[in-house]
Amino acid sequence: MPQLSELTAAVAAGKRTDTVRLTQELLAAGSAPQDIVEKGLVPGMAIVGEQFKKNEIFVPEMLVAARAMKEALKLLEPLLASAGIKPKYTAIIGTVQGDLHDIGKNLISMMWRGANFAVIDLGTNVSADKYLAAAKEHNANLVGLSALLTTTMPAMKDTVRILKAAGLSTKIMVGGAPITQAFADEIGADGYAADAGTAVDIAKKLVGQAA
Amino acid sequence: MTGCERVNRMFARQDQDRIPRCDTFWPETITRWQREGLLWDHEDALLFLQSDFQPLCWSWPAPFPQQKELITQDTETETYRDAWGGVVRYWKGRSGTPEHVGFGCDSRAAWDKIYRPALLAAPLQVNPKLSALRYQKGRQLGRWTFLSGVEGFEALRKQIGDEAFLVAMIEDPDWVRDIVQVHTDVVLRTFDAVLAEGIKPDGLWIYGDMAYNHATICSPAMYREFVWPQHKRMAEWAHARDMRVIYHTDGRVSGVLDLYIAAGFDCLQPIEAKAGMDIRQFAPTYGDRLAMFGNIDVMKMATNNLPLIEEEIRTKFAAGMATRGYAYHSDHSVPPQVSWDTYRAIIGFIDRYGNY
Repeated sequence: MPQLSELTAAVAAGKRTDTVRLTQELLAAGSAPQDIVEKGLVPGMAIVGEQFKKNEIFVPEMLVAARAMKEALKLLEPLLASAGIKPKYTAIIGTVQGDLHDIGKNLISMMWRGANFAVIDLGTNVSADKYLAAAKEHNANLVGLSALLTTTMPAMKDTVRILKAAGLSTKIMVGGAPITQAFADEIGADGYAADAGTAVDIAKKLVGQAA
Repeated sequence: MTGCERVNRMFARQDQDRIPRCDTFWPETITRWQREGLLWDHEDALLFLQSDFQPLCWSWPAPFPQQKELITQDTETETYRDAWGGVVRYWKGRSGTPEHVGFGCDSRAAWDKIYRPALLAAPLQVNPKLSALRYQKGRQLGRWTFLSGVEGFEALRKQIGDEAFLVAMIEDPDWVRDIVQVHTDVVLRTFDAVLAEGIKPDGLWIYGDMAYNHATICSPAMYREFVWPQHKRMAEWAHARDMRVIYHTDGRVSGVLDLYIAAGFDCLQPIEAKAGMDIRQFAPTYGDRLAMFGNIDVMKMATNNLPLIEEEIRTKFAAGMATRGYAYHSDHSVPPQVSWDTYRAIIGFIDRYGNY
């Protein structure tokens, strides 16, 4: 029977075939699906996030690691669902109204999934009302807002205002090329991350506070 | 001193009367400025700035240059299948980065069987005679004339999409090399056709956004392996024709400046401040080998806070001009938050601090 640490190493290295094989072997040997996720796959993506923050790896390596984890989750999610096991935290993510850019948002989404968040991706050009409705519907712990353009930063500000005014306990996190910590503070967001690795740390911190 | 002389002296690190100038504006910025006093258009704003640069052509070759098929639309956006086979969603009636919904060239097999042969067989996608007319205009105005187009990194993104090409860098590296090389073949063939009109441009300005705020999108090692050889080839092609090379990329590229120099790039533009690029830090180290073009922070411009903008210009000009290898450009495109009065004040600051 393989060790969970082998699975962690396979995910971190982005070895998709090995990740799937090890997941199958662990399941066959009787490992609990939840343990495989929480003690095998998630630590692998955590390594990826740390390496990414330090520029030891770059976006391609992050993508192949996320794809490896995704393939393993295809095997595990039906088993988790049938056992009634869900990720502890739910996040909503989208690019704000007026902005069609999506690669940054997609990377954060992958990394949050890698940290075992349930992620609902609303896509691009998302109105404040749509964020609010999704946050309510999914009882989200976290809402992530992305903006690429300086011209869509006001939409981010409006969305934060509307979400805050609704009185939800949901934490709000912002990011994107023109966004800074100062802007996040100014508009009342709960968190800001400059990169996809940091986005996981901040998200965990925020939902820990919210929980 | 003409603009052409000024820019060439900048590349030679010789004294100039003032720094060369150029800029880029969002369409919405020009629309705003027209309400606030700008008489005409983008060209008028560049005349007001006293731009020293004259573009001749733009080469971004596509496999199916005539293809633009409307697939769907709503009140705000239109979605097309474009000349590269991609499905792309654009805003109606305003600018902005489009959304790439999907890519026709979604596998090595699709590239080999459809897109590669189509790209190689596609007709010339610039008008050499129009380029020659622009060259004559540039010469009359004394401007520095340049060919421009897209390099391999940007071509990869457009042809197969970010996720596919980044994964392919690990899982199918030969595919990545082939796309970059074929694209470069076609771009250089295009430029040769323009030069066949008998013109002698001063430079080549190539575009490829290979970084974002945090770092380069791929590692320096991957850049060196997959894209850099074709960058070097483009620079050698230009240098063999007595042209200088300006490379445009957004994002934080401080980790690959040595590779740019080794490729033969003569100048970096626009040096994006919000990505942490600051010529005050690296002009003293790199300025003798790599001219710096830009770095004036549009986020500061967008505040319309004139003392803040003046300090930005004063300090960065001082750092750049110390090398004699510096030209003014905003660090991206001037956004519509910047008023016409503010931009006129910016030109005043350029006049005040940009003279040698």
